[in-house]
Order: sequence, then C-alpha cells, then structure tokens
Amino acid sequence: MNRTIVISQILVIEQAPGWLVAALNHAIIAGVLLIGGAITMMLQVWVERRLIARMQDRLGPNRVGPEGILQSIADGIKMFTKEDIIPRAADRWVHLLAPIVALAPIAMMLAVLPWGRGLVAVDLEVGVLYIAAVSSISGVGLMMAGWGSRNTFALLGAMRSIAQLIAYEIPLIIALLGIVLLTGGMSLARMPELQAGIPLFGSSIPGAPDLGLGWFIFTPVGLLGGIIFFICALAEGERTPFDIPEADSEIVAGYMTEYSGMKFAVFYIAQYLLNFALAVLSAVVFLGGWQGPGVAWLADAGLGAAASLLSLLWLLLKAWGLFMLMVVIRAAVPRLRVDQLMSFAWKYLLPLALVNVASAALWVGLTEWSSIEWGNLLPVDGLAPWQRIGVAALVTAVINLGATRWVLRINRAPAAAPVVVPA
Amino acid sequence: MVTVIFIAIASLIIASAVLVVISREIVRAALWLIATFFAVGALYLLLEAEFIGVAQVLVYVGAVSILILFAIMLTRQHERHEPAWRAGPWWIALAGVIGLAAVLITTIGAVPWRLTDDDLPVSRAPQLGTALMREYLLPFQLAAIVLLVALIGAVVIAMEERRRRTPTLADDIAAQRGAADRAEDGTP
Repeated sequence: MNRTIVISQILVIEQAPGWLVAALNHAIIAGVLLIGGAITMMLQVWVERRLIARMQDRLGPNRVGPEGILQSIADGIKMFTKEDIIPRAADRWVHLLAPIVALAPIAMMLAVLPWGRGLVAVDLEVGVLYIAAVSSISGVGLMMAGWGSRNTFALLGAMRSIAQLIAYEIPLIIALLGIVLLTGGMSLARMPELQAGIPLFGSSIPGAPDLGLGWFIFTPVGLLGGIIFFICALAEGERTPFDIPEADSEIVAGYMTEYSGMKFAVFYIAQYLLNFALAVLSAVVFLGGWQGPGVAWLADAGLGAAASLLSLLWLLLKAWGLFMLMVVIRAAVPRLRVDQLMSFAWKYLLPLALVNVASAALWVGLTEWSSIEWGNLLPVDGLAPWQRIGVAALVTAVINLGATRWVLRINRAPAAAPVVVPA
Repeated sequence: MVTVIFIAIASLIIASAVLVVISREIVRAALWLIATFFAVGALYLLLEAEFIGVAQVLVYVGAVSILILFAIMLTRQHERHEPAWRAGPWWIALAGVIGLAAVLITTIGAVPWRLTDDDLPVSRAPQLGTALMREYLLPFQLAAIVLLVALIGAVVIAMEERRRRTPTLADDIAAQRGAADRAEDGTP
C-alpha cells in the first residue's frame, strides 16, 4: 500500500491529469478492499475448520504454519494448479462467466460498508437499497452455473438456491426497513453515527457519557429485526441449517458440482466473502457498527486516527463474533428440509418482519412527532426525549412480544388439536 | 468523459438488446436481457438518479429476470432450436419496427424537455417518497390493489391445480393413516 501512495504522490508532482489521480485513488481503495477480502476469506476458512473440529472433538488443520494458519494458502496453491475441467455438453461461455457473476456483486457490497469512524469507501445515499440490489445479482451467477453445467444435480442446486434466496430476501429487506424508518435514511455510513450514547436511550439524556453503546439491538424493534435479519443472513449465505442448495448428501455439491480448480475456488471465495459481508452488515445495522466504548472519548481527546483504529477494531470484533456464531450454528444444527425452509420463511419470518415495521413506525411517531401531528390526541410535547423513548420502548416491546407469541402459537395450532384416527 | 461513458453504456444496451432477439437459445436470450437491464441501470447512475438506478437493478435484475430464468428452466426443454422469428414473414416484422420507431421518434421530438442549469437535489429518495404519499397517492394505492389482485389470482390458480391433481398411492396411504400422522411430520 505504501508504494502505491508514493506513486500517486509522484504523479501529482508531475502534474497528472485529474482523472488519472481519481482513477488511481479508486484503484487503491478497491485494491485494499479486495486484498483484505481475500485475506479475510482465508482466515475464515481456517477459523471455521478449527472451530468445527473443536466442536466435533477433532484437531482440524494444524500442520501448515503455526496452528495450521497457512493451510488456506496451501489449499489455494493446490486449487491454482488443478486442471480446469469443462463438461463436453456444457455451455462454455455461461459456464466460464458464472463464477465471476457470482463473485463480482459480493465484492461490490464491500464498497458501501462503513469499516470504521470515517472509513467508508463510498457513502451512497441509498446504501441499504444498493446492498439489497447488488446481493440479488449473485443469484443470476448461481443460475448460470446450474444451467451452464448441463448437469441435473447442478440445475437442481441452482433451483433450490434461487427459491431460497427469493424467499429469504423478502424478510431480510423488511427487517432492514424497520431500521431505515428509525434512522430516517438509507445511508449505511450514517447508521453507526446514530448508535452512539448509552443502551436504549442513545444520546437523548443530557449529561450521560457517550459509551458508544446505543445499538439498535437494545431497542425492541432492533432486537426482533436483528434476529430476523441474522436468520435470513444465514439463509442468504447458504450456511447450515440453510445449506439445502449444496446438500452434499443429496445433490453432490449443487450448482458447483461441475466446477474444478480455480473456478470452484471463486465460488468458494464468493460464499465466504458473502458470509463476512453479511456479518459486517448485521454489525453495522444492529450492533452499532464501529461504535464501542472508547471511540468517542478518543475522538474528543483529539486523537482522530487512534479513534478510527479503535472503531475498526470494534467492527472487526463484532463481525468475527457473528461469523463464529454462524460456524457454531453450523456445527450444532442439522439441515432443514425444503418444505420446512419455505414455511419458516413465509409463515414465521415474514409476518414478524411486517409487525416489526409497524412497531418501527409507531416508535418514530412516539419519539419524534409533535402533539399537533398526532392530532392533539396524545400529549407527547410535555415529555423529555428520553421519557418518550421509554414509552415507545414499552409499547413496541409489548407489540413485538405479543406478535411473536401469536405467530408461534398459530403455526403450532394443528398439532395442538389431535384428530381422532378412525380404527 | 461523460460522453465516452454514455456511448459505451448505450452501445452495450443496444448490442445486448439485439442479442436478446437473435439468440438461438432461450436461456442465453434471457441472460442477454439481464445484461440489458443492468446497462440501463448504469445509464440511470450516469444521470445521477441513484435511487432509480439501484431500484432498476433490484427489480429487473434481481427479481424479474430471475423469475424469467426460473420459469424457462422449469417449463421448457433445453434444446437448441430455431427461434420463432425465422418462421414468419420478415416484412411484417420490418413494418412493425419502422412504425414503432416512427411513433417513438415523433413522440420524443414533441415533448417539451425542461432543461435547467440549476443544480438538482442530490438525494431523490425522500422527494420520491413525499410525492408518492401526497400528489400521487391515488395512483400509488391503485397500483397496490392491482398487485394484490394479481397475488390473489396466482394463489387461486395454484389452489385449483392442487385440487385437480389425481391422488397417488402415497396420498391414499396417507389418508388411511389419518390426519394425525400428517400433522406430526408436517408433510401434506
């Protein structure tokens, strides 16, 4: 990275044209993000293998490098040198382009995520919508892989993965919508900034210290939304218990069946990078992103760079924690059946996500509207901001708890009333 | 610079749109259609309409095209065959294309485009939302009702399909075993 900065400085001295400087600037940021992504993916594989091994009373890879940390690099070299096999019946171009189409949108997701205090590559005004749009493109890549391979297992895997992606994308986006209502905007870079202060009350109490703990997960709306979002993220990232598209005991490796060598590795990278990006996204939207104790204190003391570094550390800590939670869930929970997968998305997650949006709207009304906007029905003007937040938290907690109980009950209703079996 | 990018995007749109029509394989045609949608989204971004551009990708690439691909793969035999356009008389198609082009060109020429040098607001999403909730509330609600009707229609059609299905041996056995077992393992 140092060398590239030096190059751009030389170019500035030599009176480089503006577009070249801009292009270099973007190239450096993109390079840092992509190389960081590749290194993250290798670490993820190692962490996952070691953690799963620990849970299954094995050792896992421990020979290459200290504690086996270089195993992923060895595997990468193996992948590079393997033969690239294309089935004779395959559609060559579609087969070739599929891994690229699957990986590119996930790399594009990394651009809008706020990695730390002031560390965001692109601050898009419509960041949340952009993430939703871009992540849906990789489905096209999976479809291309399944169809281009001309293999029944691959096509079945692609079908399964698309059905799953479509079903879980809807509650995922609706869960994000609740937080968009709370923050009043779709910019991802602004979301951590709004989660400063103390739990639940944020920075609404004057004189309270800024602990950087005003995370949305501490509000009833954020808690339900966060749980729904994390479950949907597991499904979007095709993690167990939602790994139906590549259920190796049923359909070999799903859409990846006919891929070998580096093309297979690209699918592998795409999947792990998607998991990591979704973990970062959950952390940013629900767990305060880069907020954490000490960041605001360092920034106030005039140590901007140190604050940024600490905030990056907090974000990575949260993201890796969520990723490890995904791994532990993989080791502990068996795979769902297809019909269970579908009914879980449409009968449990979607109604709860819709109720959560209504709660979020009520929260905004109770905390931000004036009495006149309520039509003089509610005397909210006399309350302090933190009192209004308290009232809103109570009301939405009752609504969300009631809705969760109700959804769980009506879905269990047939089993509760046993039918008499005719002899 | 903007002109260069515009020409690149526009030629990509035209080329992929032509390939949609002349592709011999229907899945490839669908993939080219996705490329067209994507390039149109890029054009919106070039016009600094971020929201419309992202919504274009979300709706057309993420939802519509995937449903098209899904429908093709579920319903058709994947055989290479001559597309239908080669079968019909070509002059009808040509006349249709020329007629459509004439209508489009005259319409576009007749619109009084409002060009201003003023800076447009950077963020359009809040303005769009406000407009939908105030000026265009009725059309917005009507669109919602149309979508709801389509949704209910789809459910009704699917229900009829299920009713018409002849019972299999497995269904008979399941009926004999009684409803209690079915409620337990959750399969219909």
